[in-house]
Amino acid sequence: MPYYDEVELGDEIGPVEKVATDDEVSNFCDVWGTPGPNRFTDAETAAKSGMKGGPIVPGIMTMAMMAQLLTDWGGPGSIKDLDLVFRQPVPHNRALTLAATITDLREEDGESLVECDILMTGTEGERYVGGKAIVTLQSH
Amino acid sequence: MAMELEYDRSLYGIEHKAGPFEISNETIDRANSSTGEAGAAFLSDEGAIAAGYKGRIAPPTLCCILVRQVALPDVKVKFGKTSMHAGQRVEPKAPVYAGDQLTASSHLKDVYAKTGRSGTMVFVVWETTFSNQNGEVVAEVQESFARRE
Repeated sequence: MPYYDEVELGDEIGPVEKVATDDEVSNFCDVWGTPGPNRFTDAETAAKSGMKGGPIVPGIMTMAMMAQLLTDWGGPGSIKDLDLVFRQPVPHNRALTLAATITDLREEDGESLVECDILMTGTEGERYVGGKAIVTLQSH
Repeated sequence: MAMELEYDRSLYGIEHKAGPFEISNETIDRANSSTGEAGAAFLSDEGAIAAGYKGRIAPPTLCCILVRQVALPDVKVKFGKTSMHAGQRVEPKAPVYAGDQLTASSHLKDVYAKTGRSGTMVFVVWETTFSNQNGEVVAEVQESFARRE
């Protein structure tokens, strides 16, 4: 894990590549309390909901993936704020690239805060999920 | 001129409660396995203690998963036909430990219209506070749902 004084504006967190498989989405929906068939797990239901590319990954599941990018970097309790916009439906079984870019560094109320823009993109440049995050890091 | 929105304004100020949600090791295991979570502090007491916690903790988006279990009323927005999950925000405030019992309290935060290149959308925002068995706030979660013309 980096220390606060080791990071700079413009530094990138990631990128990491992830895939949400059919089985993982189905398992997530069970945990989430929305077991299938629904637009997340079933192609026919997704088509009826206007999803042309098949069933989609729940926004909350993409949020969990984004959170992993940050906690793998800053530590398990590092997230202060994660604020995401679900811009486009996210398909199953496709490579998803997650990355964040540091946009601000500040010390506030005794904490060393790192603010960043965070984005999940697809192989064709799709901007699936985007937003902002604030992470706290330790200082030397 | 600002758009005059028609919806159930009487919902403002009402808290909708849910829980308790028992955060067992199994709850955390299932959340982890469904999202590929492999952070050591989320997997075991040993991993969490090594990271400075008193025991195993839940991943920071667990409350975002639980929030769906709060029964929220229809805001009755007279706009558009379809609603989609537009965004989510989480502000973790304190660790959620295996063995905790969480309660949730949700209220309507805002309803507003926004016009962009793809037309006008109306956003309904709910805010939920999760607290543990000691009354300590562990997370604030905001959910935003959009209705399109």
